[in-house]
Amino acid sequence: MTSNPENTAANSKVYSTAESALAGIGNGASVLIAGFAGSGEPESLLRGLASTGVSELTVICQGAWLAEPGTFGIADLVSGGHVKKMVSPMPFHPESGGVVKERWESGELELEVVPQGILVERMRAGGAGIGGVFLPTGAGTRFADGKEQRIFNGKEHVLELALKADFALLRAKRADTLGNLVYEGTGRNWNPTMAMAAKVTVAEVDQVVDPGGIDPELVITQAIFIDRLVLAD
Amino acid sequence: MPGTLLDSTAMACRAAQELFPGAVVALGMGLPGYIPSEVPTGGVWFIADSGLLGNDGADMDSDALDAGGNPVAMAPGGSFAGIVDIGGILRGGHTDVAVIQPSQVASNGDFVHWTTEETPDLFASGSAVDMAYGASKVVALMPHNNSSDRSNIVMECSFPVDGAKQVDIIITTAGVIKVNRDGLELVETAPGWTVEDVVEITHAPLSISPDVKEMKFHVPELIMPDKVFPDAISALTDVPEGATVNVDGFAGPGGMAHYLMTGLRDLGVRGLKLISNTAGVARVSAFGSPNIIDHSILVENHQVAKATASYPVSPSASRPSAFENAFNQGETELEVVPQGTLAERLRSGGAGVAAFYTPTGAGTLLADGKETRDIDGREYILEMGMQADFCIIRGHKADTLGNVVYKGTSRNFNPVMATTAHTTVVEVDEIVEPGQLNPEEIVTPGLFIDRIVLRPTDFSAYL
Repeated sequence: MTSNPENTAANSKVYSTAESALAGIGNGASVLIAGFAGSGEPESLLRGLASTGVSELTVICQGAWLAEPGTFGIADLVSGGHVKKMVSPMPFHPESGGVVKERWESGELELEVVPQGILVERMRAGGAGIGGVFLPTGAGTRFADGKEQRIFNGKEHVLELALKADFALLRAKRADTLGNLVYEGTGRNWNPTMAMAAKVTVAEVDQVVDPGGIDPELVITQAIFIDRLVLAD
Repeated sequence: MPGTLLDSTAMACRAAQELFPGAVVALGMGLPGYIPSEVPTGGVWFIADSGLLGNDGADMDSDALDAGGNPVAMAPGGSFAGIVDIGGILRGGHTDVAVIQPSQVASNGDFVHWTTEETPDLFASGSAVDMAYGASKVVALMPHNNSSDRSNIVMECSFPVDGAKQVDIIITTAGVIKVNRDGLELVETAPGWTVEDVVEITHAPLSISPDVKEMKFHVPELIMPDKVFPDAISALTDVPEGATVNVDGFAGPGGMAHYLMTGLRDLGVRGLKLISNTAGVARVSAFGSPNIIDHSILVENHQVAKATASYPVSPSASRPSAFENAFNQGETELEVVPQGTLAERLRSGGAGVAAFYTPTGAGTLLADGKETRDIDGREYILEMGMQADFCIIRGHKADTLGNVVYKGTSRNFNPVMATTAHTTVVEVDEIVEPGQLNPEEIVTPGLFIDRIVLRPTDFSAYL
């Protein structure tokens, strides 16, 4: 938990701008970025991240594809030269390509492709204090190269180690000032898992309400995982 | 070209013939996305790796996305899940059919997902790998040839494979090919195509099925099996002797499937191995009551052979639980597992994680006989995933598809236990129609629930 220089009062997690909510992200940081095909992606935080001028980031995300004109996405972080490496199940849309593909082909961007279920399970392990997990996924393929393999129940499994990052950037529908979050539809995607797996978790939301303003049965991400909140532009 | 290549609608209709009522069907990017629009609503669970359960076909006005990022409608009774939950559904044995669009499939069932001849260094595994390794049946739905008219069906993949020996059946623009242990077998040809035509354009050896026929495009009638059972006895009648049974609940009487427990007692089935947080302490703990229904009714009926639990003893030494007495008399076995490890072992069993390294209990007798490992300077012990034959849980409300919501801390072990058993039976206070629960509030998606029983309004949790 980091203290909020803007506000030391009870709602100290609420920051006034994306830039201030991103204080502390330095060059070379690892950053989890939620979103799936643009849904549930923290657009204001990504703009804020670009404006900090930070570089050499390792970005862990679904990928940078299907960006709509006029929006700001992970592809724009890449084209702005902020990203050194992307770890992702589908770094760019295979048919439409785009800046990620170009930077990768020119050698300016490093890519690590990890199947979606493996990547999210590694984050979950990181967030839940699990050191590593044996998964059947990808046995016998390049995804298992260099990893310990072991047979359980007659089936080959691959040891995947926990993954944690310096920051996580989330997008939720609503938060209370304590940081409890609810999402909307498929915007949930990577958010709840990424929330657990970073040292500092920042959530961009449409609305901030007082504690008690969210039905406790509907809370998906508990406040203890959230360090900073900012309203979406 | 001998015949006309099939369009995406015809391919989707043929793929629908691989489904069965109530099937959990994972759809990858591309052609698989056409299937939901061709199939009547509500007969199967179409799931998308975006976190959508209950894809009901294209709908430009929807906020819900399918695997390809396209807006789709949600069927009544659909719900949303995170990527991590989808991973568990795909990997944990819950997915009956996966339909993916590979760019190449080899004679042995190896496949390449999106790498193509035009972009040989480009690859994108997405969820195709998770789907292929997790689903019981893997359907490749794909053009027979690529854009430069070369066969996508090959002897050996010419790019690094995304799945080794995973594809079971290939439906193409020209025919249907089964992947057998000894290679590929042509079983159907598209209208206007002869067997020879298909063999001609396929760059892999094809054996010809003696029953080879022309493809048909009728969509099967798919109606979700009825999950609502009239009472506890009928919902549990096939629990076999010696079955492993998950029993939900925390410590007190809340969140416990009392009515199902009495059904299990009345059936009298013996040798049960219970997996549960306690082995029945609600009766003897301060917040309990001497005559509340808990595990004790099974223990006293001599039905319990073993308990795997985190809190098997009474908090009060002067008031031992029924299980403690039975254990002390040598009637039962006991495996004590810390609560977090118990939940994690269940979660692993339900999510297709064979084993995991946890720091909990390292250096104590809980680590005896287990592998230990140093990871980044911390000691971990290897714990195994756990599964059960049956699971009895308690929800607040369910719809007839089995979507469940809980109430307060009675949620406890219910959602995780629901994912780990071969047959999961839920007891609820109220049963509603699909669509009557808010999709955002559904905690346990119906695809995990096999049977639903209404707790009778006059049922008492006290003996």
